[in-house]
Amino acid sequence: MTAKVMTALISIVAGVGGALVLYYLLNKLAERLPGRWEDRIKPYVYILPAVAAIGLFLIYPAYQTIVYSFANRTSTEWVGLDNYQQLLTSEAFLQTLFNTLLWIVIVPTATVILGLAVAVLADRLRPRGEKLTKTIIFLPMAISMVGAATIWRFVYEARPAGQPQIGLQNAIVTALGFDPVVWLQQERFHLNSFWLMVILIWAQVGFSMVLLSAAVKGVPTETLEAARIDGANERQAFFRVVVPQIWPTVTVVFITVLIGVMKVFDVVYVMTNGNFNTNVIGLEFYNQLFTNGNAGFAAAIVVMLMVAIIPVMIYQVRQFRAQEAGR
Amino acid sequence: MIDTSRSTGAGKHRRRRAIRAAAVAVVVGLTGSACLAEPGAGRNRGAEDDVVEVMYGFSGDQSQSFQDIVQPWADQNGIKVKLSSTPDFDKLIRSRVAGNNLPDIAIYPQPGITLDIALSGRLIDLNTVVDTNRYNKNNMYLFDAASDAAGKVWAIPMSTSVKSLVWYPKKAFQAKGYTVPKTHQELLALTDRIKADGTPPWCVGIESQAATGWPATDWVEDYVLRFGGVEKYRQWTSHQIPFNAPVVQQALDEIGKIWFTEGNVFGGRQAITSNAFATAGNPMFENPPNCFLHRQASFMAQPGSFPDRIVEAIDEEAGVFPLPPIEAGAGQPVLGAGDLAGLFNDNPDTVRVLEFITSKEFGNQMAPKGGFTSPWKDFDQSKYPNDTMRDIAKIAYSASEAVFDGSDTMPGEVGSGSFWRGMVAWVTGQKDTATVLKEIDESWPDY
Repeated sequence: MTAKVMTALISIVAGVGGALVLYYLLNKLAERLPGRWEDRIKPYVYILPAVAAIGLFLIYPAYQTIVYSFANRTSTEWVGLDNYQQLLTSEAFLQTLFNTLLWIVIVPTATVILGLAVAVLADRLRPRGEKLTKTIIFLPMAISMVGAATIWRFVYEARPAGQPQIGLQNAIVTALGFDPVVWLQQERFHLNSFWLMVILIWAQVGFSMVLLSAAVKGVPTETLEAARIDGANERQAFFRVVVPQIWPTVTVVFITVLIGVMKVFDVVYVMTNGNFNTNVIGLEFYNQLFTNGNAGFAAAIVVMLMVAIIPVMIYQVRQFRAQEAGR
Repeated sequence: MIDTSRSTGAGKHRRRRAIRAAAVAVVVGLTGSACLAEPGAGRNRGAEDDVVEVMYGFSGDQSQSFQDIVQPWADQNGIKVKLSSTPDFDKLIRSRVAGNNLPDIAIYPQPGITLDIALSGRLIDLNTVVDTNRYNKNNMYLFDAASDAAGKVWAIPMSTSVKSLVWYPKKAFQAKGYTVPKTHQELLALTDRIKADGTPPWCVGIESQAATGWPATDWVEDYVLRFGGVEKYRQWTSHQIPFNAPVVQQALDEIGKIWFTEGNVFGGRQAITSNAFATAGNPMFENPPNCFLHRQASFMAQPGSFPDRIVEAIDEEAGVFPLPPIEAGAGQPVLGAGDLAGLFNDNPDTVRVLEFITSKEFGNQMAPKGGFTSPWKDFDQSKYPNDTMRDIAKIAYSASEAVFDGSDTMPGEVGSGSFWRGMVAWVTGQKDTATVLKEIDESWPDY
């Protein structure tokens, strides 16, 4: 134990100290340059370690992944576009893509709408009621995804008819006199995927609520009063006055959740492992790499995911810049 | 004023061009260095120190017993060991091999993965360090599970488990006057008789969270073995015959007859995929029983599956018989599994640890603790803690043919992927038998 604490302390001291020494030395070096050059070089000197770290830990691995996506399962021979071709012609993978698309469309939308609804409605409660409501809605944020999935297992659990039902939904269904339903195996219309999405939405609404609530509270009351004096009803005041003013926050929440959803893995892994046609791209990557040991397929999947995320990132950066410019 | 703006504009332009040039240079540099991994590159790091690291996948009581036996033995013999229990063994061993951070000994619960790891050139052919013939003579499954076509042996058994077992509630079973079937026909007759008496005969559950479907693959393997014999079975598991060969179709048809006939399974067909495998057999021990037969491996005799009161009095409460052969006199084949140990280096200490954990001497200490079956056919059966374990051992050691769980030796794509998923789709009725088998066959990787 003491040895571990000592190691931790030493590494913290060495790390921080090392960084200080490094910057000090680089600074000294830059100062030795003739006047004009010192000014030119210095900013780069300070930014260099960060750029080098990102290059080493982000850009190089990303680049290597792209390279491996054109190689075989052990990354020892080139196979050209075979990985992409095989994946994109496989029925199972196309279903996986479709499922992921469903997640991308539904989860962020539902999260924003529910979060906004809670934010607006709670805003009208008395302070204590508002605090209580928000705390309860925010609570699931503190639970890890695997923990959340374990909790929801007890909601969806199904036992054969006649056995005591320990699953919440089936307890209700059987109490009403119906046969128990195996929720996670309802493949028609991808219903089981929706049951899984509920878990993620449940966990994310708190996040969306907090940001949107702050935005709603930031809407100047003068604008609302002016609208009401002009004869706007509540709905018009909400959609024509509040929503446009909080729109930047809505996009931020939407995109943050969207990026999270594109990488969704844990919920599906714990609940079904992609069985019953609930597979998503994040889980498929994991299974290709760790169950099948197929580095080629895994890399190709990641590259596709990366390509799909880039437009979203660009949009987000643009949005952010536009906001900055607007200030 | 105008001048200044123009000059900064030009400066910006120039800087942008410089950045672009730098970016191009970086990309070109990286492209130039585009290279692939070399198989077998790098040294075995595990070999550098004098500590023998044993990495294994079992946990809880079994892990504790293992450490209680191996640690004192190592101390006595002056060998330093590090015993690491790792959940998610299969995933971790892959990343440790990929990262060249190797243990000295790995004990594989699904030895099929060794064939894949062997491609990396890191595994030791055990023929070169131990007398594999000695093992082969009196040991179960050796050349089924973890050896390649050229006869190289990547892992040898430390423990075994028996899969071809049918459990029944002893007291209720005897009270009803049922008898243990000796052939497949008798098993079907017993099924019909129990049904006629008003109880669904079978409890079946193949739900296992992320691994849902595997108990069904055991059924298929058992019947492929019974219909096709050992030769066909091995050709099937090594893909020398297609996955959807007629014998497999026949096996599924027979299982379907048992599972899908109205009134044969407690909860009906749709309960099979939602029933957790570990507790699926529990309705047998309700009063009156909700089913009388449950096919599941020997681990059911350990705490955690059957209700505790049953496990505590396992000899009185639960009976067990081998899943019978198709015809009388055809011998009793057995499907099994086990933990197999393989090496990443051949240091003398490492080899000594391997020899110890696969020895009868180790088994003599491990067996009384329960939940362990020795792979040695001439093992002293008095070491087992109860009659149920002795019965299971007898079934294993007297088997006419013993083969290793096929799905554990197939490539990951099939054995822990499409085979599981295919069985689930088949049971839920989403796909018919021929489609399921054809899709599994197509998923077999061609390397």
